[in-house]
Amino acid sequence: MTGMRLAAVGFAALGLAGADRVVVVTAGGADYVLAAGGTLAEMAGRGAEIHVLRLTNDEKDSWRLTPEETAARARREAEAAGALLGVKSVTSLGYRAWELGAVSFTELRDRIMLFIRHHKPRTLFIPNPHTHYDRVLDRYYAGRAAEDAWRSAGVEGVQPVQAEAGLQPHITHDVYYYAPPVDPERRTPEASATFVPQPKVVEIGAGLAKKIAVAQVYVTANESLARRLEERLRTSGRRLPVLDEITPAAIRRLVEENVRGLAKLAAAGTGYAAAEEFHYAGIEFRIPASYR
Amino acid sequence: MTLAMRLLSMAALALSALPQKLPLGEVPRGKVVLILQPHHDDHTTDYGMGGLIARMVDEGYEAYYVRASNDEKDGAHGYARNDIVNLRESVEGTRILGIRKVISLNWRNDYMNPIPLNELREQLIVLIRKYKPDVVLGHNPWEHYQKNPDHRQVARAMAEAWWMAGFANVHPEHAALGLQPHSAHYLYGKARLDWGLGHRPNVAIELNESQVRKKQKAYVAHLNVYANPATARAYRVALARENLAVPEWESLTDAEAAVLMEEWHMQWISRRRGAEAGVPYAEDYYVLGEFDHLPGLKEYLSKNVVAR
Ligand SMILES: [Zn+2]
Repeated sequence: MTGMRLAAVGFAALGLAGADRVVVVTAGGADYVLAAGGTLAEMAGRGAEIHVLRLTNDEKDSWRLTPEETAARARREAEAAGALLGVKSVTSLGYRAWELGAVSFTELRDRIMLFIRHHKPRTLFIPNPHTHYDRVLDRYYAGRAAEDAWRSAGVEGVQPVQAEAGLQPHITHDVYYYAPPVDPERRTPEASATFVPQPKVVEIGAGLAKKIAVAQVYVTANESLARRLEERLRTSGRRLPVLDEITPAAIRRLVEENVRGLAKLAAAGTGYAAAEEFHYAGIEFRIPASYR
Repeated sequence: MTLAMRLLSMAALALSALPQKLPLGEVPRGKVVLILQPHHDDHTTDYGMGGLIARMVDEGYEAYYVRASNDEKDGAHGYARNDIVNLRESVEGTRILGIRKVISLNWRNDYMNPIPLNELREQLIVLIRKYKPDVVLGHNPWEHYQKNPDHRQVARAMAEAWWMAGFANVHPEHAALGLQPHSAHYLYGKARLDWGLGHRPNVAIELNESQVRKKQKAYVAHLNVYANPATARAYRVALARENLAVPEWESLTDAEAAVLMEEWHMQWISRRRGAEAGVPYAEDYYVLGEFDHLPGLKEYLSKNVVAR
């Protein structure tokens, strides 16, 4: 791991045009908000048109609610969170949460590809299937399918029936792979600087407050997190004072601490106060240095 | 701003990350460890976990071993007999480590790749809800270059089962059987270190003499696949050609010499991992801890959690 280099890029350097279209693929929950909410808030604020594709129904992550009730609440919360973040649409495909491993890769890929061909984004945000130690494998399956959807969307011969429905091949210029920061080697650059996504840190100064507010909208999953945390601490002889009484305010506080902690982790070593980290496959990495 | 200038405006940071000695890990406080593996012998191999299991039992843990496959390909007896012999030897080997029971799921050995992964995951969830482990041990689900399909599948199912078992909406039908949601809080992943960069352990577990001894004995309990007398015979012949001999083998049969050689192998690998960590004997692991899935909260929790 010697010679580790990290490209830390301020937002001005992203070169975003105001009218960009952005597609976000997410397995579910607040995944994309926690990983990229600050960046997306900034993009939305500059006029980007953002469309979110939510693959699963989040039916399992709740506290003492049935799967059906959980799914219904999670969908309302996902749509409210998207609206607050400033995204134009949240489309839910309704796959059962935490069961994506049983879904055909090609089926998932082609549905994501349809969405890309329809919205014709300049920028994609997808879960990073190459990260290690992320225990939620839905993100792996979603990321693997989304990565191929990015490639296949530009290949005319893949799902030609989509052309019958008026969809043309589409090449997406910039791709941001996102993941929870659980891989200790996430900042190690990939071997080649050309054609391969590289670690990239984006400052989110202004987007942090918005990101906290958006993450707090996921009330159902947030309560699940708080209750499980409190239960684990209680049954092992410990307590977190803020959760002595699990009120909506206490849960919001926990979520705020989580988002602030993530922003600090991503900013480590950059000089920024708050940031988000990605693997970035954009024009900078797709044109060999000698041609730039 | 041109693209080239934009690139120049990037701040390139050099973060020093020299290879360091692994920190010595403690066995977490707990009562039950569940070892989830495909094969009869995966409790103890040259990269395996026999020493840690013996240490956990020494520290008061109950240990249970899950053999997910039927091991029919391992050995020279033919499928049905291999299954029977390997299961028997697995019971003997795990008993040496202090494991209380071997649960055999009997999926077809070396043919686990096309099995329904969520079905295997459910089996593991049933066992986690029944035995209520604090710690789950298995192959590192994120290791690279793992060629064996059984290892890959069991590790992938385990990667979700250990925490999903704590969610009531995952297989809610289990509640009627009296199986309550239960999460393990630690996952210990193991992998061969000579199979690429995907597995870099983050902790070394120190072992004592007695734990290494149990590991040696548990390993050679698998006589169906290890400690082949013909290997010792071949070594003796090759050495004799150069007028050499192993003094410790002089009064031993080939079968006994083969067993001793395997025991030395276990001791050597334990000593080597120990030397890397600065202790006599060790095994190393990648450990996912109780709050590693909440990276944004880890620092906050470390500062604010207090004893009751
Ligand atoms: Zn094995």
